[in-house]
Amino acid sequence: MKGYPTCAAGAGLLVALGIGLLAVSSFAAPSPLKPFERGSWREVLRAHAGRPTLVHFWGVTCGPCKLELPELGKFMKDHPGIDVVTISADLVPNLPDATQAMLDKAGLASAENFVFGDGYVERLRFEIDPSWQGDIPRTMLIGRDGAISTIEGTADRSDLDKWSAGQGARP
Amino acid sequence: MIQSFLGASFAGAFAAAILHSPACAQMTHQHASEAACEGTELRCATKVTPTFAPDGTLWLAWMAGGRVSVASSKDAGQTLSSPVPVTTQQLSLDWGPDARPKLVVDRKGGIALAFSIFRDQSFNGQVLFTRSEDGGKSFAPPRPITANNESQRFEALALDEDGTVFAAWLDKRNRVPAKEAGKSYDGAALFFASSRDGGASYTEATMAQDNTCECCRLGIAFAGRGHPVVVFRNIFDGGVRDHAITTFKDLATSGEIYRVSTDDWQIKACPHHGPSLSISPGGVYHVAWYTNGKARKGLFYAQSRDGGRSFSEPMAIGQADHNPGRPYVLAAGGLTTMVWKEFDGDKTVIMLMQSRDDGQSWSTPKMIASTVDSSDHPLLVANGSQVYLSWMTKADGYRFQPIGDQT
Repeated sequence: MKGYPTCAAGAGLLVALGIGLLAVSSFAAPSPLKPFERGSWREVLRAHAGRPTLVHFWGVTCGPCKLELPELGKFMKDHPGIDVVTISADLVPNLPDATQAMLDKAGLASAENFVFGDGYVERLRFEIDPSWQGDIPRTMLIGRDGAISTIEGTADRSDLDKWSAGQGARP
Repeated sequence: MIQSFLGASFAGAFAAAILHSPACAQMTHQHASEAACEGTELRCATKVTPTFAPDGTLWLAWMAGGRVSVASSKDAGQTLSSPVPVTTQQLSLDWGPDARPKLVVDRKGGIALAFSIFRDQSFNGQVLFTRSEDGGKSFAPPRPITANNESQRFEALALDEDGTVFAAWLDKRNRVPAKEAGKSYDGAALFFASSRDGGASYTEATMAQDNTCECCRLGIAFAGRGHPVVVFRNIFDGGVRDHAITTFKDLATSGEIYRVSTDDWQIKACPHHGPSLSISPGGVYHVAWYTNGKARKGLFYAQSRDGGRSFSEPMAIGQADHNPGRPYVLAAGGLTTMVWKEFDGDKTVIMLMQSRDDGQSWSTPKMIASTVDSSDHPLLVANGSQVYLSWMTKADGYRFQPIGDQT
Protein backbone atom coordinates (compact mmCIF):
# COMPACT_ATOMS: atom_id res chain seq x y z
CA MET A 1 0.00 0.00 0.00
CA LYS A 2 1.40 3.35 -0.99
CA GLY A 3 0.73 6.49 0.99
CA TYR A 4 -1.36 6.78 4.11
CA PRO A 5 -5.06 6.03 4.55
CA THR A 6 -7.17 9.14 4.83
CA CYS A 7 -9.06 9.95 8.01
CA ALA A 8 -12.42 9.26 6.39
CA ALA A 9 -11.30 6.00 4.89
CA GLY A 10 -9.64 5.11 8.13
CA ALA A 11 -12.75 5.83 10.18
CA GLY A 12 -14.78 3.69 7.84
CA LEU A 13 -12.35 0.87 8.16
CA LEU A 14 -12.36 1.23 11.92
CA VAL A 15 -16.10 0.87 11.99
CA ALA A 16 -15.78 -2.11 9.72
CA LEU A 17 -13.33 -3.56 12.18
CA GLY A 18 -15.77 -2.99 14.99
CA ILE A 19 -13.58 -0.55 16.86
CA GLY A 20 -15.34 2.67 16.03
CA LEU A 21 -15.10 3.92 19.60
CA LEU A 22 -11.44 4.52 19.05
CA ALA A 23 -12.24 6.88 16.25
CA VAL A 24 -14.87 8.80 18.19
CA SER A 25 -12.52 9.61 21.03
CA SER A 26 -9.68 10.50 18.73
CA PHE A 27 -11.62 13.06 16.75
CA ALA A 28 -12.73 15.06 19.78
CA ALA A 29 -12.91 18.85 19.72
CA PRO A 30 -9.70 20.79 20.35
CA SER A 31 -8.69 20.55 23.99
CA PRO A 32 -8.01 23.43 26.34
CA LEU A 33 -4.67 21.93 27.28
CA LYS A 34 -1.98 24.52 27.69
CA PRO A 35 1.50 23.91 26.32
CA PHE A 36 4.10 23.71 29.06
CA GLU A 37 7.17 25.39 27.65
CA ARG A 38 10.33 27.12 28.73
CA GLY A 39 9.37 29.64 31.43
CA SER A 40 5.98 28.02 32.10
CA TRP A 41 7.03 26.80 35.54
CA ARG A 42 7.96 30.29 36.66
CA GLU A 43 4.58 31.48 35.38
CA VAL A 44 2.72 28.74 37.25
CA LEU A 45 4.47 29.72 40.48
CA ARG A 46 3.67 33.40 39.86
CA ALA A 47 0.05 32.81 38.95
CA HIS A 48 -0.65 30.74 42.07
CA ALA A 49 1.51 32.68 44.51
CA GLY A 50 -0.16 32.94 47.92
CA ARG A 51 -2.59 30.12 47.16
CA PRO A 52 -2.12 26.51 48.21
CA THR A 53 -1.50 24.64 44.97
CA LEU A 54 -1.15 20.99 44.09
CA VAL A 55 0.87 20.37 40.93
CA HIS A 56 0.66 16.85 39.56
CA PHE A 57 3.00 15.44 36.92
CA TRP A 58 1.81 12.39 35.03
CA GLY A 59 1.72 10.74 31.61
CA VAL A 60 -0.65 8.75 29.43
CA THR A 61 1.61 5.70 29.21
CA CYS A 62 2.31 5.52 32.94
CA GLY A 63 0.40 2.70 34.66
CA PRO A 64 0.51 4.08 38.22
CA CYS A 65 -0.60 7.47 36.86
CA LYS A 66 -3.76 5.98 35.38
CA LEU A 67 -4.70 4.60 38.78
CA GLU A 68 -3.89 7.79 40.66
CA LEU A 69 -5.53 10.32 38.35
CA PRO A 70 -9.16 9.58 39.40
CA GLU A 71 -8.12 9.84 43.05
CA LEU A 72 -6.74 13.27 42.31
CA GLY A 73 -10.02 14.19 40.67
CA LYS A 74 -11.84 13.27 43.88
CA PHE A 75 -9.36 15.28 45.91
CA MET A 76 -9.97 18.35 43.75
CA LYS A 77 -13.72 17.97 44.14
CA ASP A 78 -13.39 17.64 47.91
CA HIS A 79 -10.96 20.55 48.28
CA PRO A 80 -12.19 23.54 46.30
CA GLY A 81 -9.79 25.77 48.22
CA ILE A 82 -6.78 24.08 46.66
CA ASP A 83 -5.62 25.06 43.18
CA VAL A 84 -4.97 21.92 41.15
CA VAL A 85 -2.57 21.98 38.22
CA THR A 86 -1.75 18.92 36.14
CA ILE A 87 1.20 18.66 33.78
CA SER A 88 1.47 15.75 31.36
CA ALA A 89 5.21 15.18 31.39
CA ASP A 90 5.60 12.21 29.11
CA LEU A 91 7.95 12.69 26.27
CA VAL A 92 6.20 14.31 23.36
CA PRO A 93 4.20 13.50 21.19
CA ASN A 94 2.07 13.28 24.35
CA LEU A 95 -1.12 12.89 22.31
CA PRO A 96 -3.27 15.78 23.55
CA ASP A 97 -6.54 13.99 22.77
CA ALA A 98 -5.62 10.99 24.90
CA THR A 99 -4.36 13.33 27.61
CA GLN A 100 -7.60 15.31 27.66
CA ALA A 101 -9.72 12.16 27.59
CA MET A 102 -7.97 10.77 30.65
CA LEU A 103 -8.28 14.08 32.47
CA ASP A 104 -11.99 14.28 31.64
CA LYS A 105 -12.58 10.73 32.82
CA ALA A 106 -10.72 11.42 36.06
CA GLY A 107 -12.82 14.49 36.85
CA LEU A 108 -9.96 16.88 36.24
CA ALA A 109 -11.30 18.75 33.23
CA SER A 110 -11.70 21.92 35.25
CA ALA A 111 -8.17 21.84 36.65
CA GLU A 112 -5.47 23.93 35.04
CA ASN A 113 -4.05 21.36 32.66
CA PHE A 114 -0.76 21.51 30.80
CA VAL A 115 1.04 19.16 28.47
CA PHE A 116 4.78 19.32 27.80
CA GLY A 117 5.10 21.40 24.66
CA ASP A 118 8.84 21.36 24.17
CA GLY A 119 10.76 18.30 23.01
CA TYR A 120 13.75 19.39 25.09
CA VAL A 121 12.34 17.78 28.21
CA GLU A 122 15.63 17.92 30.10
CA ARG A 123 15.35 21.71 30.12
CA LEU A 124 11.70 21.71 31.17
CA ARG A 125 12.39 19.32 34.03
CA PHE A 126 15.49 21.24 35.07
CA GLU A 127 13.45 24.42 35.49
CA ILE A 128 11.03 22.58 37.77
CA ASP A 129 13.55 20.55 39.78
CA PRO A 130 17.17 20.16 38.64
CA SER A 131 17.37 16.71 40.19
CA TRP A 132 14.23 15.32 38.53
CA GLN A 133 15.01 12.64 35.94
CA GLY A 134 11.45 12.29 34.70
CA ASP A 135 9.88 9.63 36.90
CA ILE A 136 6.09 9.96 37.09
CA PRO A 137 3.68 10.30 38.82
CA ARG A 138 5.08 13.11 40.90
CA THR A 139 3.22 15.67 42.98
CA MET A 140 4.46 19.01 44.22
CA LEU A 141 2.58 20.71 47.05
CA ILE A 142 3.08 24.46 47.10
CA GLY A 143 2.00 26.16 50.29
CA ARG A 144 0.62 29.65 50.78
CA ASP A 145 4.12 30.66 51.87
CA GLY A 146 5.65 29.23 48.71
CA ALA A 147 7.19 26.26 50.48
CA ILE A 148 7.31 23.25 48.13
CA SER A 149 7.24 19.63 49.18
CA THR A 150 7.57 16.89 46.57
CA ILE A 151 5.92 13.48 46.63
CA GLU A 152 7.60 10.94 44.35
CA GLY A 153 5.31 8.26 42.99
CA THR A 154 1.70 7.79 43.88
CA ALA A 155 0.60 10.15 46.65
CA ASP A 156 -1.33 8.93 49.68
CA ARG A 157 -4.69 10.62 49.92
CA SER A 158 -4.20 11.00 53.67
CA ASP A 159 -0.99 12.96 53.10
CA LEU A 160 -2.77 15.28 50.69
CA ASP A 161 -5.66 15.81 53.12
CA LYS A 162 -3.24 16.53 55.93
CA TRP A 163 -1.33 19.06 53.82
CA SER A 164 -4.58 20.68 52.73
CA ALA A 165 -5.74 21.00 56.32
CA GLY A 166 -2.41 22.59 57.19
CA GLN A 167 -3.04 25.21 54.53
CA GLY A 168 -6.35 26.14 56.12
CA ALA A 169 -8.21 25.00 53.05
CA ARG A 170 -11.79 23.80 53.40
CA PRO A 171 -11.93 19.97 53.38
CA MET B 1 -5.05 -8.32 4.14
CA ILE B 2 -4.76 -6.84 7.59
CA GLN B 3 -4.97 -10.17 9.31
CA SER B 4 -2.24 -11.60 7.18
CA PHE B 5 0.09 -8.75 7.98
CA LEU B 6 0.36 -9.10 11.70
CA GLY B 7 -2.30 -11.52 12.75
CA ALA B 8 -5.47 -10.71 14.64
CA SER B 9 -3.80 -8.46 17.15
CA PHE B 10 -2.63 -6.20 14.36
CA ALA B 11 -6.11 -4.75 14.01
CA GLY B 12 -5.54 -2.52 17.02
CA ALA B 13 -2.16 -1.46 15.79
CA PHE B 14 -3.55 -0.65 12.38
CA ALA B 15 -6.29 1.40 13.97
CA ALA B 16 -3.70 3.36 15.88
CA ALA B 17 -1.72 3.80 12.70
CA ILE B 18 -4.72 5.28 10.94
CA LEU B 19 -5.47 7.60 13.81
CA HIS B 20 -1.93 8.90 13.78
CA SER B 21 -1.68 9.34 10.06
CA PRO B 22 -0.70 12.77 8.73
CA ALA B 23 -4.23 13.39 7.52
CA CYS B 24 -5.64 12.81 10.98
CA ALA B 25 -2.89 14.81 12.63
CA GLN B 26 -4.29 17.93 10.97
CA MET B 27 -7.54 17.33 12.81
CA THR B 28 -5.95 16.98 16.17
CA HIS B 29 -3.30 19.22 17.65
CA GLN B 30 0.05 20.48 16.67
CA HIS B 31 2.67 19.69 19.23
CA ALA B 32 6.33 20.12 19.85
CA SER B 33 8.45 17.23 18.76
CA GLU B 34 11.62 15.52 19.81
CA ALA B 35 12.27 14.94 16.12
CA ALA B 36 13.89 17.42 13.78
CA CYS B 37 11.39 16.62 11.02
CA GLU B 38 8.32 14.53 10.28
CA GLY B 39 9.76 12.17 7.66
CA THR B 40 11.05 8.64 7.97
CA GLU B 41 14.67 9.42 7.17
CA LEU B 42 17.48 9.15 9.70
CA ARG B 43 17.70 12.87 10.42
CA CYS B 44 14.06 12.78 11.57
CA ALA B 45 14.67 9.93 14.01
CA THR B 46 14.13 10.12 17.74
CA LYS B 47 15.73 6.76 18.55
CA VAL B 48 18.63 5.14 16.71
CA THR B 49 20.10 1.75 17.61
CA PRO B 50 23.43 0.56 16.18
CA THR B 51 25.01 -2.87 15.91
CA PHE B 52 27.99 -4.27 14.06
CA ALA B 53 27.68 -7.44 12.01
CA PRO B 54 30.45 -10.01 12.36
CA ASP B 55 31.83 -8.83 8.99
CA GLY B 56 32.28 -5.29 10.33
CA THR B 57 29.24 -3.77 8.64
CA LEU B 58 27.49 -1.20 10.81
CA TRP B 59 23.71 -1.55 10.91
CA LEU B 60 21.36 1.14 12.21
CA ALA B 61 17.70 0.76 13.09
CA TRP B 62 15.70 3.89 13.79
CA MET B 63 12.25 5.21 14.61
CA ALA B 64 11.09 8.14 12.50
CA GLY B 65 7.75 9.21 11.13
CA GLY B 66 5.98 6.24 12.70
CA ARG B 67 8.17 3.71 10.98
CA VAL B 68 11.17 1.56 11.76
CA SER B 69 13.88 1.70 9.11
CA VAL B 70 17.35 0.23 8.75
CA ALA B 71 20.47 1.13 6.81
CA SER B 72 24.02 -0.13 6.78
CA SER B 73 27.48 1.31 6.47
CA LYS B 74 30.72 -0.27 5.31
CA ASP B 75 32.80 2.68 6.54
CA ALA B 76 31.78 2.99 10.19
CA GLY B 77 28.95 5.39 9.60
CA GLN B 78 30.54 7.85 7.19
CA THR B 79 28.21 6.79 4.41
CA LEU B 80 24.95 4.89 4.71
CA SER B 81 23.08 2.63 2.34
CA SER B 82 19.61 3.60 1.18
CA PRO B 83 17.18 3.13 4.06
CA VAL B 84 14.96 0.07 4.00
CA PRO B 85 11.58 0.28 5.72
CA VAL B 86 11.00 -2.52 8.19
CA THR B 87 7.37 -1.54 8.55
CA THR B 88 5.43 -0.47 5.50
CA GLN B 89 2.57 1.02 7.51
CA GLN B 90 2.82 3.98 9.83
CA LEU B 91 2.53 2.50 13.32
CA SER B 92 1.96 3.88 16.77
CA LEU B 93 5.48 3.02 17.84
CA ASP B 94 6.28 2.94 21.54
CA TRP B 95 7.80 6.37 22.04
CA GLY B 96 8.48 5.95 25.76
CA PRO B 97 11.84 7.27 26.97
CA ASP B 98 13.39 3.81 27.24
CA ALA B 99 11.88 2.29 24.09
CA ARG B 100 13.82 1.77 20.86
CA PRO B 101 14.09 -0.81 18.07
CA LYS B 102 16.60 -3.63 18.68
CA LEU B 103 18.55 -5.62 16.14
CA VAL B 104 21.23 -8.28 15.96
CA VAL B 105 23.06 -9.57 12.88
CA ASP B 106 24.34 -13.13 12.64
CA ARG B 107 27.31 -14.58 10.79
CA LYS B 108 25.18 -15.40 7.75
CA GLY B 109 24.07 -11.78 7.47
CA GLY B 110 20.59 -12.53 8.77
CA ILE B 111 19.05 -9.66 10.74
CA ALA B 112 16.73 -10.23 13.69
CA LEU B 113 14.83 -7.12 14.73
CA ALA B 114 12.23 -6.36 17.39
CA PHE B 115 10.32 -3.28 18.48
CA SER B 116 7.21 -2.30 20.42
CA ILE B 117 4.02 -0.58 19.41
CA PHE B 118 1.14 0.85 21.36
CA ARG B 119 -1.67 -1.38 20.18
CA ASP B 120 -4.63 0.48 21.71
CA GLN B 121 -5.66 3.82 23.14
CA SER B 122 -4.86 2.64 26.66
CA PHE B 123 -1.24 2.46 25.53
CA ASN B 124 -0.96 -1.26 26.03
CA GLY B 125 2.17 -2.38 24.29
CA GLN B 126 2.97 -5.22 21.95
CA VAL B 127 6.39 -6.57 21.06
CA LEU B 128 6.78 -7.36 17.38
CA PHE B 129 9.65 -9.15 15.68
CA THR B 130 10.81 -9.58 12.14
CA ARG B 131 13.77 -10.94 10.21
CA SER B 132 15.64 -10.20 7.03
CA GLU B 133 17.16 -13.11 5.17
CA ASP B 134 18.45 -11.12 2.22
CA GLY B 135 21.02 -8.92 3.89
CA GLY B 136 18.60 -6.20 4.93
CA LYS B 137 17.01 -5.68 1.51
CA SER B 138 13.61 -6.65 2.88
CA PHE B 139 11.97 -7.76 6.10
CA ALA B 140 9.28 -10.29 6.82
CA PRO B 141 5.94 -8.91 8.03
CA PRO B 142 6.32 -8.16 11.77
CA ARG B 143 4.64 -10.64 14.09
CA PRO B 144 3.87 -10.61 17.82
CA ILE B 145 6.57 -12.30 19.87
CA THR B 146 3.91 -13.94 22.02
CA ALA B 147 0.32 -14.94 21.44
CA ASN B 148 -0.66 -13.41 24.77
CA ASN B 149 -2.52 -10.17 24.27
CA GLU B 150 -1.67 -8.34 27.48
CA SER B 151 0.72 -5.42 27.41
CA GLN B 152 4.37 -6.08 26.55
CA ARG B 153 7.15 -3.52 26.21
CA PHE B 154 10.89 -2.98 26.59
CA GLU B 155 12.12 -5.93 24.59
CA ALA B 156 15.83 -6.68 24.42
CA LEU B 157 17.73 -8.90 21.98
CA ALA B 158 21.09 -10.60 22.28
CA LEU B 159 22.91 -12.97 19.97
CA ASP B 160 24.55 -16.14 21.27
CA GLU B 161 27.81 -17.44 19.82
CA ASP B 162 25.97 -20.13 17.85
CA GLY B 163 23.55 -17.66 16.29
CA THR B 164 20.67 -18.26 18.69
CA VAL B 165 18.70 -15.08 19.28
CA PHE B 166 17.63 -14.49 22.88
CA ALA B 167 14.79 -12.08 23.61
CA ALA B 168 13.56 -10.72 26.93
CA TRP B 169 10.81 -8.22 27.64
CA LEU B 170 8.44 -6.89 30.31
CA ASP B 171 4.99 -8.44 30.20
CA LYS B 172 1.80 -7.60 32.11
CA ARG B 173 -0.11 -10.85 31.52
CA ASN B 174 -0.10 -11.75 35.23
CA ARG B 175 -2.22 -8.78 36.19
CA VAL B 176 -5.27 -10.52 34.71
CA PRO B 177 -5.42 -13.53 37.03
CA ALA B 178 -4.48 -11.27 39.94
CA LYS B 179 -7.39 -8.97 39.17
CA GLU B 180 -9.76 -11.90 38.78
CA ALA B 181 -8.65 -13.12 42.19
CA GLY B 182 -9.29 -9.71 43.68
CA LYS B 183 -5.61 -9.16 44.36
CA SER B 184 -3.49 -6.16 43.58
CA TYR B 185 -0.69 -6.59 41.08
CA ASP B 186 2.43 -4.48 40.98
CA GLY B 187 4.48 -3.80 37.88
CA ALA B 188 5.03 -6.44 35.23
CA ALA B 189 7.01 -9.65 34.75
CA LEU B 190 10.27 -10.45 33.02
CA PHE B 191 9.58 -12.88 30.19
CA PHE B 192 11.93 -14.44 27.67
CA ALA B 193 12.08 -16.60 24.55
CA SER B 194 14.74 -17.71 22.11
CA SER B 195 15.05 -18.37 18.42
CA ARG B 196 17.20 -21.02 16.80
CA ASP B 197 16.27 -19.94 13.29
CA GLY B 198 17.84 -16.51 13.42
CA GLY B 199 14.78 -14.67 14.66
CA ALA B 200 12.25 -16.16 12.23
CA SER B 201 10.32 -17.73 15.11
CA TYR B 202 10.60 -17.79 18.89
CA THR B 203 9.95 -20.38 21.57
CA GLU B 204 6.98 -20.04 23.83
CA ALA B 205 7.31 -17.14 26.26
CA THR B 206 8.51 -18.11 29.72
CA MET B 207 8.56 -16.05 32.88
CA ALA B 208 11.83 -15.41 34.66
CA GLN B 209 10.60 -13.10 37.42
CA ASP B 210 7.24 -11.68 38.42
CA ASN B 211 6.56 -8.18 39.76
CA THR B 212 9.32 -6.24 38.11
CA CYS B 213 9.18 -2.54 37.37
CA GLU B 214 7.12 -2.06 34.22
CA CYS B 215 8.67 0.91 32.49
CA CYS B 216 12.46 0.64 32.34
CA ARG B 217 14.69 -0.81 29.66
CA LEU B 218 16.51 -4.08 30.30
CA GLY B 219 20.25 -4.61 30.25
CA ILE B 220 21.26 -7.81 28.44
CA ALA B 221 24.49 -9.63 27.61
CA PHE B 222 25.89 -13.14 27.35
CA ALA B 223 28.15 -14.73 29.98
CA GLY B 224 29.43 -17.41 27.68
CA ARG B 225 27.58 -19.59 25.21
CA GLY B 226 24.06 -20.48 26.33
CA HIS B 227 24.02 -18.16 29.34
CA PRO B 228 22.20 -14.88 28.79
CA VAL B 229 22.25 -12.39 31.64
CA VAL B 230 19.52 -9.82 32.22
CA VAL B 231 19.65 -6.88 34.62
CA PHE B 232 16.36 -5.17 35.37
CA ARG B 233 14.64 -2.86 37.82
CA ASN B 234 12.85 -5.22 40.15
CA ILE B 235 10.15 -4.56 42.73
CA PHE B 236 11.46 -5.84 46.05
CA ASP B 237 9.41 -6.13 49.24
CA GLY B 238 7.80 -2.88 50.25
CA GLY B 239 7.58 -1.56 46.71
CA VAL B 240 11.33 -0.92 46.49
CA ARG B 241 12.38 -0.56 42.84
CA ASP B 242 16.05 -1.54 43.00
CA HIS B 243 18.01 -3.49 40.42
CA ALA B 244 18.29 -7.26 40.16
CA ILE B 245 20.17 -9.61 37.86
CA THR B 246 19.82 -13.18 36.70
CA THR B 247 22.26 -15.38 34.84
CA PHE B 248 20.39 -18.02 32.87
CA LYS B 249 21.35 -21.65 33.40
CA ASP B 250 20.56 -22.22 29.76
CA LEU B 251 18.44 -20.53 27.12
CA ALA B 252 15.27 -22.01 28.59
CA THR B 253 16.02 -21.73 32.32
CA SER B 254 16.47 -18.54 34.26
CA GLY B 255 18.81 -18.49 37.22
CA GLU B 256 18.76 -17.16 40.75
CA ILE B 257 17.78 -13.56 41.20
CA TYR B 258 20.47 -11.48 42.88
CA ARG B 259 20.28 -7.87 44.00
CA VAL B 260 22.74 -5.50 42.35
CA SER B 261 22.45 -2.83 45.00
CA THR B 262 20.30 -1.93 47.98
CA ASP B 263 19.38 1.63 47.10
CA ASP B 264 16.00 1.48 48.83
CA TRP B 265 14.07 3.41 46.19
CA GLN B 266 10.55 2.87 47.41
CA ILE B 267 8.36 4.42 44.78
CA LYS B 268 5.14 3.56 43.03
CA ALA B 269 5.99 5.22 39.78
CA CYS B 270 7.55 4.78 36.39
CA PRO B 271 11.19 5.83 36.59
CA HIS B 272 11.53 5.44 32.78
CA HIS B 273 15.22 4.92 33.45
CA GLY B 274 16.64 1.45 32.99
CA PRO B 275 20.10 -0.04 33.58
CA SER B 276 23.00 -1.00 31.35
CA LEU B 277 24.99 -4.25 31.42
CA SER B 278 28.18 -5.47 29.78
CA ILE B 279 30.26 -8.57 30.46
CA SER B 280 33.97 -8.47 29.73
CA PRO B 281 35.93 -11.32 28.14
CA GLY B 282 37.23 -12.01 31.63
CA GLY B 283 33.71 -12.60 32.89
CA VAL B 284 33.36 -9.42 34.94
CA TYR B 285 29.79 -8.09 35.01
CA HIS B 286 29.61 -4.30 34.66
CA VAL B 287 26.32 -2.62 35.59
CA ALA B 288 25.35 1.06 35.59
CA TRP B 289 22.01 2.41 36.80
CA TYR B 290 20.00 5.33 38.10
CA THR B 291 18.29 5.47 41.47
CA ASN B 292 16.71 8.00 43.75
CA GLY B 293 16.63 5.78 46.83
CA LYS B 294 17.03 6.52 50.49
CA ALA B 295 20.45 4.88 50.55
CA ARG B 296 21.80 6.70 47.51
CA LYS B 297 20.63 9.04 44.79
CA GLY B 298 21.96 9.52 41.29
CA LEU B 299 23.90 7.48 38.79
CA PHE B 300 25.96 4.51 39.93
CA TYR B 301 28.25 1.75 38.70
CA ALA B 302 29.18 -1.59 40.22
CA GLN B 303 30.92 -4.73 39.05
CA SER B 304 30.59 -8.41 39.87
CA ARG B 305 33.48 -10.87 39.70
CA ASP B 306 31.48 -13.89 40.79
CA GLY B 307 28.98 -14.22 38.00
CA GLY B 308 26.49 -11.69 39.31
CA ARG B 309 26.08 -13.13 42.81
CA SER B 310 27.55 -10.10 44.51
CA PHE B 311 28.52 -6.63 43.42
CA SER B 312 31.09 -4.08 44.44
CA GLU B 313 30.14 -1.03 46.48
CA PRO B 314 28.24 1.30 44.11
CA MET B 315 30.38 4.07 42.70
CA ALA B 316 28.72 7.43 42.06
CA ILE B 317 29.01 8.67 38.49
CA GLY B 318 28.90 12.23 37.21
CA GLN B 319 28.28 15.62 38.72
CA ALA B 320 25.35 15.37 41.11
CA ASP B 321 24.22 18.95 40.33
CA HIS B 322 24.21 18.24 36.58
CA ASN B 323 21.51 15.59 36.68
CA PRO B 324 23.59 12.63 35.43
CA GLY B 325 21.52 9.92 33.77
CA ARG B 326 21.11 7.43 30.89
CA PRO B 327 24.27 5.40 31.52
CA TYR B 328 25.70 2.93 29.03
CA VAL B 329 28.64 0.65 29.74
CA LEU B 330 30.57 -1.53 27.29
CA ALA B 331 33.58 -3.77 27.84
CA ALA B 332 35.51 -4.20 24.59
CA GLY B 333 39.01 -3.92 23.26
CA GLY B 334 40.65 -4.25 26.66
CA LEU B 335 38.79 -1.23 27.96
CA THR B 336 35.57 -0.74 29.87
CA THR B 337 33.91 2.41 28.57
CA MET B 338 31.03 4.25 30.17
CA VAL B 339 29.04 7.20 28.86
CA TRP B 340 26.14 9.12 30.33
CA LYS B 341 24.21 12.35 29.93
CA GLU B 342 24.50 15.49 32.01
CA PHE B 343 22.51 18.71 31.75
CA ASP B 344 23.61 22.12 33.00
CA GLY B 345 20.37 24.01 32.51
CA ASP B 346 21.17 24.92 28.95
CA LYS B 347 22.95 22.13 27.12
CA THR B 348 23.08 18.35 27.27
CA VAL B 349 26.54 16.80 27.26
CA ILE B 350 27.80 13.24 26.92
CA MET B 351 30.41 12.38 29.50
CA LEU B 352 32.90 9.54 29.17
CA MET B 353 35.19 7.60 31.45
CA GLN B 354 37.15 4.42 30.88
CA SER B 355 38.79 1.66 32.87
CA ARG B 356 41.85 -0.35 31.87
CA ASP B 357 41.50 -2.85 34.74
CA ASP B 358 37.99 -4.23 34.24
CA GLY B 359 36.27 -1.57 36.33
CA GLN B 360 38.52 -1.33 39.37
CA SER B 361 39.73 2.18 38.56
CA TRP B 362 38.44 4.78 36.14
CA SER B 363 39.75 7.74 34.18
CA THR B 364 38.67 11.28 34.97
CA PRO B 365 35.32 11.97 33.29
CA LYS B 366 35.48 14.13 30.15
CA MET B 367 32.92 15.61 27.81
CA ILE B 368 32.89 14.08 24.33
CA ALA B 369 29.73 15.55 22.77
CA SER B 370 27.03 18.13 23.43
CA THR B 371 23.78 19.47 22.04
CA VAL B 372 21.28 22.20 22.84
CA ASP B 373 18.01 20.43 22.10
CA SER B 374 16.40 17.05 22.70
CA SER B 375 18.42 13.90 22.21
CA ASP B 376 18.32 10.13 22.42
CA HIS B 377 20.16 8.19 25.09
CA PRO B 378 23.89 7.74 24.38
CA LEU B 379 24.80 4.21 23.28
CA LEU B 380 28.12 2.42 22.80
CA VAL B 381 28.86 -0.20 20.18
CA ALA B 382 32.06 -2.03 19.29
CA ASN B 383 33.54 -3.37 16.11
CA GLY B 384 36.22 -5.66 17.47
CA SER B 385 38.30 -3.47 19.73
CA GLN B 386 37.08 -0.13 18.36
CA VAL B 387 34.33 1.46 20.45
CA TYR B 388 31.96 4.09 19.06
CA LEU B 389 29.46 6.52 20.55
CA SER B 390 26.03 6.43 18.91
CA TRP B 391 23.90 9.46 19.73
CA MET B 392 20.86 10.86 17.91
CA THR B 393 20.26 14.57 18.47
CA LYS B 394 17.54 16.85 17.17
CA ALA B 395 19.76 19.86 16.58
CA ASP B 396 22.90 18.16 15.30
CA GLY B 397 21.59 15.00 13.67
CA TYR B 398 22.99 11.52 14.17
CA ARG B 399 26.46 11.30 15.64
CA PHE B 400 28.60 8.19 15.33
CA GLN B 401 32.07 8.86 16.61
CA PRO B 402 35.04 6.65 17.49
CA ILE B 403 36.13 6.86 21.09
CA GLY B 404 39.48 5.10 21.29
CA ASP B 405 41.58 4.93 24.41
CA GLN B 406 41.05 8.17 26.32
CA THR B 407 42.39 7.02 29.67
